[in-house]
Amino acid sequence: MTDPKPGSITEAEAIERAKQGDEAAFEILYHLHKRRVYSLCLRMLSNPAQAEDLAQEAFLQLFRKISTFRGESAFSTWLHRMTVNVVLMQLRKKGLPLVSLEETLETEEETPKKELGAQDVKLTGSIDRLQLQRAIDRLPPGYKTVFVLHDVEGFEHNEIAELVGCSIGNSKSQLHKARLKLRDYLKFMRAEKAGNT
Amino acid sequence: MKCADVQRVLPEVIENRQDGELEAHLKSCPACSELVSDLKLISSEARQLSASDEPAPRVWVRIAAELRAEGVIREPEAATPAPATTSRRSWSAWWLVPVAAALLAGASYIVTHKPAPQVAGQQGPAVTTPAAPASQPPATVAQAPAAKASSPQNAKNREVAEASSAEDQQFLSEVSQRAPGMRVTYENQLRSVNNYIRDAQAYLDQNPDDEDARQHLIEAYQQKAMLYQMALDHVQ
Ligand SMILES: [Zn+2]
Repeated sequence: MTDPKPGSITEAEAIERAKQGDEAAFEILYHLHKRRVYSLCLRMLSNPAQAEDLAQEAFLQLFRKISTFRGESAFSTWLHRMTVNVVLMQLRKKGLPLVSLEETLETEEETPKKELGAQDVKLTGSIDRLQLQRAIDRLPPGYKTVFVLHDVEGFEHNEIAELVGCSIGNSKSQLHKARLKLRDYLKFMRAEKAGNT
Repeated sequence: MKCADVQRVLPEVIENRQDGELEAHLKSCPACSELVSDLKLISSEARQLSASDEPAPRVWVRIAAELRAEGVIREPEAATPAPATTSRRSWSAWWLVPVAAALLAGASYIVTHKPAPQVAGQQGPAVTTPAAPASQPPATVAQAPAAKASSPQNAKNREVAEASSAEDQQFLSEVSQRAPGMRVTYENQLRSVNNYIRDAQAYLDQNPDDEDARQHLIEAYQQKAMLYQMALDHVQ
């Protein structure tokens, strides 16, 4: 699939034209960034319909303010932060904790069972991308937030602390616990798959 | 260092922190070593999930509609509706392309039956007179040699095309009522896709055995069906 003439005008030119209300320019900016924005929403929400709504909201907020955009700051950084804010706002509205309240919310079923042999399974240097997505979907909300922001999106702990409103130490420990959980989930999935065949 | 100590320093480890004591322990402890390499693997694989998913085409349609309604997108020639075959088409054609690919399955049904999900004003059996609908500019297809279009299939296709223009008007008035700001967007896009259908139909009339041409027509109808669907999703 091809996006609309991506090489034909630069992002900076598109931004300038968008300030004049040019639809085609907005469209170019949208297509340049749609995957990044939508994927971030999808990872955080684990729900395609909600992810579409939030991606739409993030672009709208940005495009409405396009006339205030100054060339020297990176457009993608601006958009990216705005997307995170839109997503976090939505999570707050839903009453979901941005930072996990330790293990209290977890049920027994969510913990991989040793009897299935998950502990003996090894990841041995490869992870299936779809399985990783599914494992992330299963993370408790707080762990998911920090993991997605740090490991998927590349934010630093100090940025996450600021965005989410937690301490840097908290961000670090949540990330670590999220990774440990993902490891368990992935092993569990692999054990399950092996058991089915 | 013991295994328990590894657990304690682990959050820092993955952040590329060098630690001699830890390295020594990992060399002698397969369990901890495996743990550390798994966590590093998870972290590095996760990076590839950034920008991994493509949003549905309707996301842009909604954004554009909203921006237009708010006046952020401004029409260059607001008052004059574009004539039947303007450059608008090239604009809308590309966003419709991925849509077409997704809908191949329903396509043949659409061509041989009905272009849009909503069934309104079903017409009678096969033979129709090619009168241009009042609401549409005269269709190029109407000028295509009638003899070439004599196959039952093509006659039926034309019938479908004409029946749909009444449907289009109904559709647009529906959009106007429920989401006035979107009328222009959908009107433009409907015009584009109708042009596409008309061109594809005209070509097929003259080349009735051309399978590619038939495929183009199918895709054109798919795009229209998808446009209707997007509007339905939006105005609800
Ligand atoms: Zn150890």
